[in-house]
Amino acid sequence: MIAGSQAHPGKPRAVAAGALRTLRGAWRRSAGIGLALYALALGAVLGLASADWATRGGYPFGGVTVGAWTLWPRVGSTGADPYARAVNARRGEIPLAVGEGLLMTAADDDGGRPLDAACTYSLTGATPPARAWTLTVTGRGEADPARPPMREGFTSTEILRERDGRFAITLGPEAEPGNWLPSPRAEGPMRLAIRLYDTPVAASAGSLDRDAVPAITRVACRS
Amino acid sequence: MSLRFAYATLCGLVLAGIVHIVTVLAIPRLSETDALSRTRSSESLEHPQPVNTLATPASPAATWLPAPDPAVAVGVCAYDLEDGPMRIAARTGPLALSLAVHGRRGAFYAVTDQAAVRGALDLVVLTRAQYDEALANDDENEPSRDVRIVAPDRQGFVVVRVIAGLPSQRPAANEAVQAVSCTIDGEDETPGK
Repeated sequence: MIAGSQAHPGKPRAVAAGALRTLRGAWRRSAGIGLALYALALGAVLGLASADWATRGGYPFGGVTVGAWTLWPRVGSTGADPYARAVNARRGEIPLAVGEGLLMTAADDDGGRPLDAACTYSLTGATPPARAWTLTVTGRGEADPARPPMREGFTSTEILRERDGRFAITLGPEAEPGNWLPSPRAEGPMRLAIRLYDTPVAASAGSLDRDAVPAITRVACRS
Repeated sequence: MSLRFAYATLCGLVLAGIVHIVTVLAIPRLSETDALSRTRSSESLEHPQPVNTLATPASPAATWLPAPDPAVAVGVCAYDLEDGPMRIAARTGPLALSLAVHGRRGAFYAVTDQAAVRGALDLVVLTRAQYDEALANDDENEPSRDVRIVAPDRQGFVVVRVIAGLPSQRPAANEAVQAVSCTIDGEDETPGK
């Protein structure tokens, strides 16, 4: 086009230059609108996606890590952070209140490897002081309807203890003597949850010792 | 051109931060699946709405909690203090029982059956104005034995949890949750409301 306007000097050239100027102005204006739209879209998509990501699944932060376990002392209180409140609202969860109990979760073993339903684990030790506690294992996704419903956990009343009050639980796919907790799924990740009821720990979760929580040791894996 | 593009990207990122914060703060208000919205329908009941019923030989477990404790029966009484103060009366039994009062922002009070006086646990949830009124109406010679809790919000719910230490105690735990009564306190109490 430029070559064409150069080939015909005079009036057509001025017209072409004017048209070019109008075109460039329109481009600049539309580029301004385009950039504004781009910024708006970026803000909306990134903002919504990150909010969805942060409030999906578990609590993003606010936990106290003790060994392989994470304690969640504040998620049910009025002092809970906005993310924990949003997670509770999205899941329909009723969290334990501070004077009522405390939730402890574990998704990894003591070696830092994720808990796998195909592996056998040994949970040994004791729990922090509590009037009662329950230990529950959950797998991801819907339960397999073909699998018979089995034990999902232990309570402090029904568990078999050693002489010193400590306990040892075997978590794995194969039946074992003693406290055997069957794997919830044939394969895939698992999560452990200990709920301490009527416990004084909530106020001092940060000062808990590694020995106060059960150790999770991987024994063997079915390959 | 690239400078303008970088500027637009920067604006977009700042906007994303604002959208993120607003969304996270708005989720509890807008959610229709949170505990407060789901329990709203139980306001008219006189006993807790079962939320987590334990599995018994007669019936399977029933719950809408995402990760329920299979050994703890849970029931919920929703309250709206506009109708009057909420009275929760529990009798202690052989199983451990706890009550937690939740508002919009989370639980603001919790008590276990170890705080019961002569086997009875009486909680009254009220607003500040209702609390002042109850205090003014108190008989000096016969002080009230109720535990009075001032709620920060008008709406909320009381959670009843009963622990079944053994599978054989599960039917008793389900019954213990239902045995708690949640009634609207006051002289203009109408049955069925």
